[in-house]
Amino acid sequence: MKVIQDLFRDYRFTVSFCVLCLLFSLAFLTIFSPYDPTRWGVVPRDLKPSWEYPLGTNSKGQDVFWQGAFAIRNSLIISVIAGVVSRIIAILVGMVAGYRGRLTDRVLMFVSDSFLVIPLFLIVVMLAMLIRQMMNLVTLGLLLAIFGWAWDARLIRSQILSLREREFTQTAVLSGSGTLRLVLKEYMPFATPLVFSTLINNMSWAIGMEMTLAVLGLVDMDTPTLGTMLQWAISYQAMLLGYWWWIMTPVVLAILLFVALYWLSVSISEYLDPRTRLQRIGAQ
Amino acid sequence: MRGKVLPVMSLLAALSLLVSCGRGPTVTPAAGVTPPGTPLVSPATPAPDVLGVLPREETLIVAQLTGRVGTPDDFNEWVGWKWRDRGMQQLMNEPLWSVDFATGKIINGLAAGDPIYSEDFKKVTIPLRKGVAWSDGVPFTAADVVFTVETLIKHEGFNAHAFFAENVERVYAPDDYTVVFELKQPNSRFHTTFLDRWGSTWIMPKHIFEKVEDPVKFKFNPPVGTGPYKLHSYDPAGYWTVWERREDWDKSPTGILFGEPKPKYIVFQAFANEGAKILAQLTHQLDAVDLSAEGLKAALAQGRTNRAYQKTFPWVVNNDPCITGITFNTAKPPYDNPEVRWALLLAIDIVEYEAQAVDGMATLSPIHVPSLGPYIDYYIKPMQEWLKEFTLDLGNGETFKPYDPEAPRRLAEYAKSRGYAIPDDPAFISRAFGFGWYKYAPDVAEKLLIKNGFSRDAEGKWRLPDGKPWRIEVISRSDMSHLEFKNAAAAVQQWKKFGIDAVHVPSDNVSALTQNGEYDVSGNWPAFEPWGAGPDLYRVLDPFNSAYVRPIGQLTQGHTSRWSSPEMDDVIKRLRETDPTKTEQVVAIGLEGLKILVREMPGIPTFGYIGFISWDEHYWTNWPGAENPYTQPYTHWGPFKYMTPFLQPTGR
Amino acid sequence: MVFLRRYLIPRLIQYVLVIVFGVTVVFLIPRLAPTDPIASTIAQIRSQGSYLDPATVDQFIEDLTELYGLRGSLWEQYIALWMRLLRGDLGVSFFQFPTPVIVLIGRALPWTVGLLLTTTVLGWLIGNILGGLAGYFSRHKWSQALDILAMLIRPLPYYILALALLLLLGYVVRWFPIAGGTSIGMRPSWTWTFIWDVLRHSFLPALSLVILGGTLWFQTMKLVVQNVNAEDFVQYAKLGGVEEGKIVFRYVIRNALLPQVTGLGLALGQIFSGALITEIVFSYPGLGMLLYNAVITGDYNLIMGITLFSIVAITTAILIIDLVYPLFDPRVRYR
Repeated sequence: MKVIQDLFRDYRFTVSFCVLCLLFSLAFLTIFSPYDPTRWGVVPRDLKPSWEYPLGTNSKGQDVFWQGAFAIRNSLIISVIAGVVSRIIAILVGMVAGYRGRLTDRVLMFVSDSFLVIPLFLIVVMLAMLIRQMMNLVTLGLLLAIFGWAWDARLIRSQILSLREREFTQTAVLSGSGTLRLVLKEYMPFATPLVFSTLINNMSWAIGMEMTLAVLGLVDMDTPTLGTMLQWAISYQAMLLGYWWWIMTPVVLAILLFVALYWLSVSISEYLDPRTRLQRIGAQ
Repeated sequence: MRGKVLPVMSLLAALSLLVSCGRGPTVTPAAGVTPPGTPLVSPATPAPDVLGVLPREETLIVAQLTGRVGTPDDFNEWVGWKWRDRGMQQLMNEPLWSVDFATGKIINGLAAGDPIYSEDFKKVTIPLRKGVAWSDGVPFTAADVVFTVETLIKHEGFNAHAFFAENVERVYAPDDYTVVFELKQPNSRFHTTFLDRWGSTWIMPKHIFEKVEDPVKFKFNPPVGTGPYKLHSYDPAGYWTVWERREDWDKSPTGILFGEPKPKYIVFQAFANEGAKILAQLTHQLDAVDLSAEGLKAALAQGRTNRAYQKTFPWVVNNDPCITGITFNTAKPPYDNPEVRWALLLAIDIVEYEAQAVDGMATLSPIHVPSLGPYIDYYIKPMQEWLKEFTLDLGNGETFKPYDPEAPRRLAEYAKSRGYAIPDDPAFISRAFGFGWYKYAPDVAEKLLIKNGFSRDAEGKWRLPDGKPWRIEVISRSDMSHLEFKNAAAAVQQWKKFGIDAVHVPSDNVSALTQNGEYDVSGNWPAFEPWGAGPDLYRVLDPFNSAYVRPIGQLTQGHTSRWSSPEMDDVIKRLRETDPTKTEQVVAIGLEGLKILVREMPGIPTFGYIGFISWDEHYWTNWPGAENPYTQPYTHWGPFKYMTPFLQPTGR
Repeated sequence: MVFLRRYLIPRLIQYVLVIVFGVTVVFLIPRLAPTDPIASTIAQIRSQGSYLDPATVDQFIEDLTELYGLRGSLWEQYIALWMRLLRGDLGVSFFQFPTPVIVLIGRALPWTVGLLLTTTVLGWLIGNILGGLAGYFSRHKWSQALDILAMLIRPLPYYILALALLLLLGYVVRWFPIAGGTSIGMRPSWTWTFIWDVLRHSFLPALSLVILGGTLWFQTMKLVVQNVNAEDFVQYAKLGGVEEGKIVFRYVIRNALLPQVTGLGLALGQIFSGALITEIVFSYPGLGMLLYNAVITGDYNLIMGITLFSIVAITTAILIIDLVYPLFDPRVRYR
């Protein structure tokens, strides 16, 4: 309980927590949507925001508010799957490679290098063509996760390489700590800010990638995501026709989402840091 | 700190407001003539001097349809794909004949008149125009034509190699301005390979190609043509090509026929996205451009000197000879069953469909040629009575007459509800919206499906006869402004409403999927386009020839529906044996073919192709708009060259 | 010698293996995907309703299969590929037949390298310098302002960011050209006019990429520096009265730079796949569109040509990073 209280003392945590709650409740609200998000022509077209349609309607005859709600839900699903799954792989590979070294390191780095050198874009486009029928939010998230960890595994490995030469590693090893324990207890706190910042970067990359695929028409364009919503708005010239509510909704949602994630990660890693410092001072 | 968030947020908001400029886009009846929106930039802003090298007032800039040229230094159009609409087919090259779909005429280019066939269609004589010279001054003669055909036969690398090798027995020139082909088998449409209809077989300059060791690898740079313009310069990265008027323009057929082309320079510029095209036109850096429906609306809303093909609703070019719609893969069940195809057609509410696809701007056609140009009088009107009597058998003795001559009126009502000014004149309505389509009859569709063993589950979702859920994947290319995409998207919406699990799958490799038959339903045109002039439907019907059908997984040579029938084979055979210039006979056979297509419905014709052209009148006027259609309006079609003498500089 | 035997040689073997692996994957995937170079060519030649007599298409397909070298089993084609690659021959493009792949790449490469090398390095430098300073002086007002600015720009989808720049700087205030790499009618030459023209056209794409890259590096660097800043040795140095500037550069930045250098290396290696969205928004020449078009038309040789460059570049970048690591962080040893 104390942890939570401490965290809420930071206004950034409070703000981002509230924003995230808002976005998540928006995502959950889609259960009660009066419309099927894939259907067109359910409301009059091109209406400005009003009491009836709080964010207006688009040129396809859809309610922008509900489209936005579905978009944030679907984009959260994709980016959270991509971000979390790839973080798990990256942390495991990076830490094990960095700590164990030698053959393990070499093999793991061969694998991660291979993932890095295969032109990701080619693979994603080709796979999107190959598994057209099975392409949904989850498979897209997993696809991005499989190709999104290699870079960050290297970052984490390099951090570990640098940490393991420091004296506290020697101390811990001498005092007989096991590998896992050592990695989790001693390295994790140092790696946490990196993991968090790469998590946001990765989630933003996943959304950006989804956006790129949407621009190229390689995802299901009828499923609203931040990417497909923007692509419809852009290709229907919402900018030049003055339908600002259509194009600004996904943009503002994206900004809210990432600002919240960013502040959350900054706030948590700052919170984590003094604690570890104290611990270390205590241990020495 | 939160105080700092505000300025940034307001900056973003300001950006969006700047774009929207306050005024709402809701269309009021008064605003029916011009689309909504307010210009971002006041019209007074002077156009920047973008060219630097070329004098803007003597230069015409048009957008290139097929995008950035992948082979900018290669003008050898006879091999592979060379982005011929970069000006090569419009300005540099004159074909023997061109189709002008706006006037419905065939224009004689290098040829002096019609081809003359022998009785058995095994010999063709073509008279050539005198006084034409290549752009390097060498006179054009029959020897160039003979050389071209002989070269194409000699090398396998040429696209037209197979055609000429399989058709031509001998080619010779009895004199300098006559060329004679002796054919291996009778072919009443042999000459159409030289008829420019967005491409044709071009004539090579003999004096250049005869010196070349390998004409397949030859780059033909700088190119030499018989057209009124010659190459000035090109972007090595492929984004623009500049053409300069020939000093001896009067030695080109264009000059001989219509006089001096007005622009001294013509630029073809490629853009990678539509927004940039619109911005370029609004800043007077682009005189003619093809846009999407929404793009045209935006351009008209923001610009003050630009205009569309028609000055009022529906704005678009609607005399294109192409029909759009939906194609079924008839090699795959359940789409091999004509009653299923008809059921899917009757599940479409065409008004809603066209509203979603193109906001009601296109002309409906119930048959597999568009309700535009010469086809109205040749086919649409004569078929009305037959269509009204056309009956479907629903089983249990029930029948249904699906034709609905009132569909255009309903579409007009929709357009009115959108605030567009529509005159109540029936002539206007049939010209803008067509003569009829089919009824929206989901109940009939239901009966047809049940007759064929389909059923609905507890939630009302359709199941196939074997009890599995019915999922229709409609594929289309992924360019969202393309009418294939729009047709596919609209069809999916209609079938979803009907209770079928339909999904739209845009894909960039749609050409491979459709030609190999690896799809269910696609947004491909339901039939090939006719010539664009004359009544001959050989191009529409021949692709349904059973000889071209291949099993799934192999490239088909015919229509992607893979549909054929002995009845149609017979029609095609008779058409082949008919002289294409004998109107009455050609129309009679054509009608037969079209009726078979309606009965079988291998693909659903919806509306004719519409072009969303926007012309800027800042530097150039007298565009061939609907009020003065002296030639076809596109800048990517070959006859664009015949527009150039009529354009007027504003002198700005 | 021990370094050579224990570290360098295995590392070089790994380098070669990764390249072979990459080439094999790039060979296989397009052939498994439902793209068909012959269908693409035929569809393009028939585009806009231009006519190809259906009766002769069969023979045309035969001719193309022969010309494109697509006869033989997968295995035979794979062997043939390596024979060609080892001779240094990338083959000819199918869709741009008969242009050699190397010519197409040579045409697009200068644009891509010119734009992306500059923007990657610039974005990295600006992002890291500002990020480092903002991280070190994280209590200052300007640091927090920068942080917020980066935080708001970062989540903007790049496509929107680029379009907004185009709209603002290309249309509303007409400072920069809307499309293309050079002005119409401009012939390439080593004159000041031409260079200036190229620079003017590249400004908007470059700006969008620097903003995107800069904010990314800024955020990572700031976090890492804040972290290092809080570590014992920095605190000791401060207490010991070491000069402020010295602390920043000798202790903080240097220690924080390690992951950033890794990142830069990889980013530089990835230059060779081009920047597709940038090229689309600004109609800018480069490898991105070339690769994308090759992918959708099933232009196997061209796909292989471009990705081979990219594979070798990335693998080499990683190799160099691994070799120079210890120079930056003496605590890391080769192993």
